[in-house]
Amino acid sequence: MLLAGGQGSRLYVLTTNVAKPAVPFGGKYRIIDFPLSNCVNSNIDTVGVLTQYQPHELNAYIGAGLPWDLDRLEGGVRVLPPYVKGKGGEWYKGTANAIYQNMGFIETYDPEYLLILSGDHIYKMDYSQMIDQHRRTQADCTIAVIEVPPDEACRFGILNADDGGVILDFEEKPKKPKSNLASMGIYVFTWSKLRAYLLEDSHNPKSRNDFGANIIPMMLNAGERMLIHQFKGYWKDVGTIESLWEANMDMLAPDNQLDIFDRSWPIYCGAKSAPPHFVGEGARVTHSLLTEGCEIHGEMENSVIFTDVIIQPGAFVKYSIVMPGAVIEKEAVVEYAIIAEGARVGRGARVGADPSVVPVADWGVTVVAPGVTIGPGIVVKTREMVGADKLTQEAGPAPPAAGTGKRGGRA
Amino acid sequence: MNDMHGLIFAYAGGLHIKELTEHRTVSSLPFGGRYRAIDFMLSNMINADIVNVGVIMRENYQSLLDHLGSGKDWDLARKRGGLKLLPPFGYNVTRLQHEGGVFLGNMAALAGVNSYLSGIREEYVVMADGDLVANLPLEDALRVHIDSGADITLICSPRTVSSPEYAVNVALGEKNRVSDISIGRREPEMFESLNVSILSSSLLDSLVSYCSAHNAYDFERDVLQRMSDLDVVAYLFDGYVARLHSTSTFFRCNMDLLRAEVRESIFRKERPIKTKGRDQAPTYYGPGASVRNCVVADGCYIEGEAENSVIFRGVRISEGVRVHNSILMQNTKVSQGAVLGYAITDKEVVINRGRMLLGHETYPIAIAKGSVV
Repeated sequence: MLLAGGQGSRLYVLTTNVAKPAVPFGGKYRIIDFPLSNCVNSNIDTVGVLTQYQPHELNAYIGAGLPWDLDRLEGGVRVLPPYVKGKGGEWYKGTANAIYQNMGFIETYDPEYLLILSGDHIYKMDYSQMIDQHRRTQADCTIAVIEVPPDEACRFGILNADDGGVILDFEEKPKKPKSNLASMGIYVFTWSKLRAYLLEDSHNPKSRNDFGANIIPMMLNAGERMLIHQFKGYWKDVGTIESLWEANMDMLAPDNQLDIFDRSWPIYCGAKSAPPHFVGEGARVTHSLLTEGCEIHGEMENSVIFTDVIIQPGAFVKYSIVMPGAVIEKEAVVEYAIIAEGARVGRGARVGADPSVVPVADWGVTVVAPGVTIGPGIVVKTREMVGADKLTQEAGPAPPAAGTGKRGGRA
Repeated sequence: MNDMHGLIFAYAGGLHIKELTEHRTVSSLPFGGRYRAIDFMLSNMINADIVNVGVIMRENYQSLLDHLGSGKDWDLARKRGGLKLLPPFGYNVTRLQHEGGVFLGNMAALAGVNSYLSGIREEYVVMADGDLVANLPLEDALRVHIDSGADITLICSPRTVSSPEYAVNVALGEKNRVSDISIGRREPEMFESLNVSILSSSLLDSLVSYCSAHNAYDFERDVLQRMSDLDVVAYLFDGYVARLHSTSTFFRCNMDLLRAEVRESIFRKERPIKTKGRDQAPTYYGPGASVRNCVVADGCYIEGEAENSVIFRGVRISEGVRVHNSILMQNTKVSQGAVLGYAITDKEVVINRGRMLLGHETYPIAIAKGSVV
């Protein structure tokens, strides 16, 4: 069961109209391609995708599951939105509630184990190994963990386990972490056990109906057998503008552990069919990812460019992410920025800044929202977030239009 | 949905592309970075809302079967109709072996799939060769065919497309009515037929049985030229057209893609060319990469230099490599310090360190599938 209902509010304008799992990533993918491809590569052929927030694009993208080979007669991928029931129905209140509301769907498959995934992480993982471990150790719950730097542990849900991997306690964003093993939000449950706890949790009006906050602590307190499954490799939460930008940049690093070129663990995607990209006579492309449908006539370095992007002659793009269908016009300069789907940076405009030329405290990734036009010659400052067309240069701070303006400090 | 059925002759053309068609039929020749030749005609058909397409094959069609699969990449995997693969019927093969091992012409090929033809439910049929690279507005051609009331409509180009010795040329009279057909010889003011014809399925049926009964086997010679009572009209198409006849035309047509007007003519947003998906990663350009004037597909890893070239999916160009005026097909590996000029490397070719291969515009070097240089 893939939890894909998150709003992703810390991605601001990038998720105004789409759910976070549908946000473009890595040149031709969307975030959800990673967990879905992991499922297929791990021989899991029945996947429920729980959607809630802005589901249209996500639902259309998943469709019958064809890109991931999940268009099956038996099982396959199923999109599961909240629905009206006898007494009125309700939204998914929390992650556990989302599963609770779909118990009927789960029971039709009469599963022994249930794998819970979230749709906002970038990683490649063989879930079958985790399920094997769960079965072998006769656990009731297995939680995937990854080592994080000790000074960052306070940002995660931290699990403390004994030498045998048995979980002793779990703390959400602890001030004084007892270990540096962070929960990846990937759980394997023995279904019969989880089912009982979901029912119990549903009767508790004070519960947030959340796995991390309620179900896991309840099971720990009851003394259920809960183990960690240690994952080594690339894993990144792309829930913020900065982390999304960083994760894209990570893909450019030589020998990055994600290695999307590995044909033995392909990441599938539902990208539209576009012609090969064209790199023009005056173009210069270095240390970048480029994909189908692009026409590159300008210069780009250290950037990730998505499908159908046009970079006109004399334009310069560096350390940036340019999402599908965006256009960078002549002589425009885009630095350390995310240019979202269908946005247009006008002739001679400047978007973002190199961290070496602005005070560290002021620097941040600049974002141009989907479909927004930046007029010719307009300057968009570092860390600015442009949520509506910007055709004239304001003298003072930007007017507080919806979704426009600078966001708060970095986490 | 359109009232038109598609038929593709997957074996046509490609007479002189020895290295490249040794393992495949001309319709499955890789083209333009990520396509096979047949993708263009299949896409033309689906873009005209045709939902039933028969592909007639003759030999070396394994790679074509692999490419087409169930047809789902073209949305032709249907319960009713969709893509129908028509390999030679056993009986015909033995009979044809006595006659030289090949169909003698497309009418003979059609006679071989007679039972399939008789099941066509649509009123019209469009027949085309699988080696024609063009983005044709077949829907408009059908409309013109119906409006003109002609028996047969041929799509023709004012350009010179094929090698002159194979070209079917037409002279046009009033309202684009075909007044003369000349094969292998082009008079001034003639147009070249692209061998794409639209006619009613009932006429096709009777032509096939007539030809079969009279030992006539060629559509161009035995039908278009001999049957003077047929009303044949030309539909003029002025966009980019390529036929993959020989190694040098194959080379030139791929190179044509480096021109913006050619890409605009064949890659159109409203009529996209679809192909089999390979789910490859985007292409990575290394810190020292230098790529200019190239068409590049996904999944490549480029650290060296490339210029004026067409680079297919999954190609690796290492540091210190210089590739110019070349076509590198899927998964070609070019190792450090190698130099390639005017070369065509087929799938899975490996060029080892420091090798140097230089052809010429008029004689590009073709390296067969899987070779190690």
